[in-house]
Amino acid sequence: MRIAIPRETHDLERRVAATPDTVSRLIALGHEVTVEARAGAAAGFANDAYRSAGAHVEVDPETVWSKADMILRVRPPRDDQIAWLRSGAILTGYLNAATSPDLLETLAGRGVTSLAMEAVPRITRAQSMDTLSAMANIAGYRAVIEAAGYFGRFFGGQMTAAGRFAPAQVLVIGAGVAGLAAVGAARNLGAQVRAFDTREACRDQVHSLGGEFLTVDIEESGEGSGGYAREMSQSFLDAEFALFREQAEEVDIVITTALIPGKPAPRLWHADMVARMKPGSVVVDLAGEQGGNCDLSEPDETVVSDNGVVVLAPTDLPSRMAETASTLHGNVVVNLVEHLGGREIAIDMDDEITRAMTVTHDGAVTWPPPAPEPAPTPQPAASEPEAADATAAVAAGQPPTRPAAELGTADRQRHRAWLPVTGLLLAAVWVYLRWQFGGPGQATGTEAQAFVQHLTVFVMACFVGWHVIWNVTPALHTPLMAVTNAISGIIILGGLQQGSRPLLGADGSVEPVAVFGLAAILLAMINVAGGFLVTQRMLRMFRKG
Amino acid sequence: MNQVLLSIPYLAASVLFILSLKGLASQETARRGNLLGIIGMTIALVATLSAAGVAPASRMYVVITLLVGASIGTVMATRVAMTAMPEMVALLHSFVGLAAVLVGFGSWFGPHGETALGRTIHLAEIFIAVWIGAITFTGSVVAFLKLRGQVSGKPLLLPGRHWLNLGTVIASLVLAVLFVGHLAGHPLVLLVIATVIALWLGAHLVLAIGGADMPVVVSLLNSYSGWTAAAAGFMLANDALIVTGALVGSSGAILSYIMCRAMNRSIWNVVFGGFGSDGTAGGGAADGATAGEIRETSVGETARELLDADRVIIVPGYGMAVARAQHAVHQVTEILRGRDVDVRFAIHPVAGRLPGHMNVLLAEADVPYDIVQEMDEINDDFPETDVVLVIGANDIVNPSAQTDPHSPIAGMPVLEAWKARRVIMLKRGRAAGYAGVDNPLFYHENTRMLFGDANQTMSALVGEL
Repeated sequence: MRIAIPRETHDLERRVAATPDTVSRLIALGHEVTVEARAGAAAGFANDAYRSAGAHVEVDPETVWSKADMILRVRPPRDDQIAWLRSGAILTGYLNAATSPDLLETLAGRGVTSLAMEAVPRITRAQSMDTLSAMANIAGYRAVIEAAGYFGRFFGGQMTAAGRFAPAQVLVIGAGVAGLAAVGAARNLGAQVRAFDTREACRDQVHSLGGEFLTVDIEESGEGSGGYAREMSQSFLDAEFALFREQAEEVDIVITTALIPGKPAPRLWHADMVARMKPGSVVVDLAGEQGGNCDLSEPDETVVSDNGVVVLAPTDLPSRMAETASTLHGNVVVNLVEHLGGREIAIDMDDEITRAMTVTHDGAVTWPPPAPEPAPTPQPAASEPEAADATAAVAAGQPPTRPAAELGTADRQRHRAWLPVTGLLLAAVWVYLRWQFGGPGQATGTEAQAFVQHLTVFVMACFVGWHVIWNVTPALHTPLMAVTNAISGIIILGGLQQGSRPLLGADGSVEPVAVFGLAAILLAMINVAGGFLVTQRMLRMFRKG
Repeated sequence: MNQVLLSIPYLAASVLFILSLKGLASQETARRGNLLGIIGMTIALVATLSAAGVAPASRMYVVITLLVGASIGTVMATRVAMTAMPEMVALLHSFVGLAAVLVGFGSWFGPHGETALGRTIHLAEIFIAVWIGAITFTGSVVAFLKLRGQVSGKPLLLPGRHWLNLGTVIASLVLAVLFVGHLAGHPLVLLVIATVIALWLGAHLVLAIGGADMPVVVSLLNSYSGWTAAAAGFMLANDALIVTGALVGSSGAILSYIMCRAMNRSIWNVVFGGFGSDGTAGGGAADGATAGEIRETSVGETARELLDADRVIIVPGYGMAVARAQHAVHQVTEILRGRDVDVRFAIHPVAGRLPGHMNVLLAEADVPYDIVQEMDEINDDFPETDVVLVIGANDIVNPSAQTDPHSPIAGMPVLEAWKARRVIMLKRGRAAGYAGVDNPLFYHENTRMLFGDANQTMSALVGEL
């Protein structure tokens, strides 16, 4: 297959989709590779380096585009470039599929198969093809370096004979890949770092990099279940902003990393927060391209606020480390080619990863991909620390849902059926009683009343049990059975009522009620003692490593 | 006796039971939860004893009975091996069922209320409590015997068994109407006949269920024992019994549902399906198609492969419980972890004969619970795993659940062990799994079989490492 690597034409873009090293790997797979002249120049890869790796270097862009079976790009192509493409060619690169429907139409109209690099699903198997994480890592690191360039002080604290300096205080908002990389980089420069995220799961990751973890604890104020997330979201945001205002007065450097895929970035760092910051402080907004997290952000401009705070919103951070970024991107592309078959490249629409990435195919737009079919249990976001959209949670201002609760909710919903059943049963009882005591004013009798009261208690207890049990962790299901064994020994109360009668009746014969009662006491007591003790024994064994 | 005085301690006990179950949400709070349950039970007992107005002549009998019961329970709880937990749980279920039957008969001898309606309601409650109690009793006894291996694990499939079941249910309904309405003969005789029928039904229902479905059966009986207690609560007008019974009943129902989902079957299919008969037929057909070469390996080679690995996942199954190999497994785990091998455990929801059985066994062997993971957590990680050690598990790693639509276990979620670089299966013999389904994983090119008793093999492995 003829693979071509054209020069990137976007302003400020210095990356290239293949390095001489990855070109030689593609050739080893059996492909013919053409590189447009000076394609790697901005990233530090000379034409000669590509030539010696085995690639053909072509000067005319139109030839590069029109002769290729597969085009490797970083940024989306321009319309004139798409016009050069052969029908049936494969195009890979960032396509911003969610926000550029026109581009997809154009590509589909041209008969091009397009693979969007940003659409790689976030599953373990696809990690080697995840360039977003690789780029986010660079962006987070570089954001700290950019901030350092504008910041007039040391990051680390120093005590010298000529004076002492406190360490810089850095706040990172969003502990996704970019955020964590920023925490690590700032920490390594000697700053004191704190990171904000809504997800409790990030706590350990932030700690592991030496940062302090901040979050808004909404669970305390509103512990409850089912549907409170939406209602809480406004009060949650208020709490979050109050925390930020407090932090604004303390910190010297703020790095914001909140992005929602396919949507404008949320405004998290307001003008009044900037106004509270000390002169000379720096805000680096990694969401500049999507509209910015900070009110003052102007993409690729250096804004200085009235009180002397520098606000940066660079959109080309990975490009500022073009060689590293290109190497990572190039490796990912080779992994993708291998995933597509290596030597014989084919688009297998039954493959989960390929399907998710393919946004145009056979003349049709195939975005968005259908929801994954088997969808076992919802994959808890927390178990994917690499999630670059981690900050989406910050952005949406929604509290993280605990996976157990999620599971429970899904199952409860699937089992809505038992609600109507209960309703029907209750209706049946009501109809019976109504039939029995039809006329108005007719006494129902205390026994019937008592029965209905017991029924009330019973139904309520079923509800409580249903909700409580779903939260039991599967690892403790055996202890759960043992403990329910023990408490179902409560039937001993029945035995006690009957066993407490005199064993011998008035005429001296043995009372069967008392005998039955005593036997019931014996059996139930075995349950009570055995159940609780064995539970205790089992629970004592569970230990954390 | 004063019901009003009792209702407050009963309320306290009910709340404590709810908190007790809530505590089981995580390992950290579970022990406190159990303690709350004990406190709740103590409150209920003491309150009842003080209010029941125990006749002086019976006081001694009651106390002695309580003490004897408590001692038997204590001995059972301390003696039982963790591998025998399913049996113990089943046995305890049967006690609840039998106690309910006894209390039900006791109630029959007592007063039945003042009004005609009250009488009808009370008699109906007695009938229901005795009937469910009897089913729970014999069902649990049969389950207990099956788990102990004293009754064959194969489903007993009487001809026309669905009609038999239907007939007994209809007969019970007729008896119930006659009993409640005082329509025929001596009511006590009717109740005894109904009890015998229910006893037979309970035994027959469980006899017809195959050994592989035991986790569902035990959960289901757990649920029955709860409903039994709730029915007794209606009968005795006792709210503490009603609440507790409802809690236990829902708990068992949820567990049964979880187990069924883990096997991709409906509860009806498990209870009435007679699984195993279809299974063997399907297995036989599959034999010719999948039978291939089995590659055996040795303990020495296994040790080498484990030491060379970076990531190891251990999949325990019922075979580990039978061989009591959990301690040797833990030693192997510790040695490997000491050499910086990433070892984790993958637990299928229906591994073992009880929900959460494997977790308890591993905890007993001191395996930290944070490296023990559920199927959904770990299934995506198999492709990056160097060695998967399958210890006495078969159906839960059977790829034909995904590949062969005709397999009896088709569609059941399974651990995707075959995606790992190397699968080592410890197995006692060459027979198929409990479900009687052949497993293509045995013949997979990445699979090596290590035949022998799991405990001896693992101990040998410890020596080799």
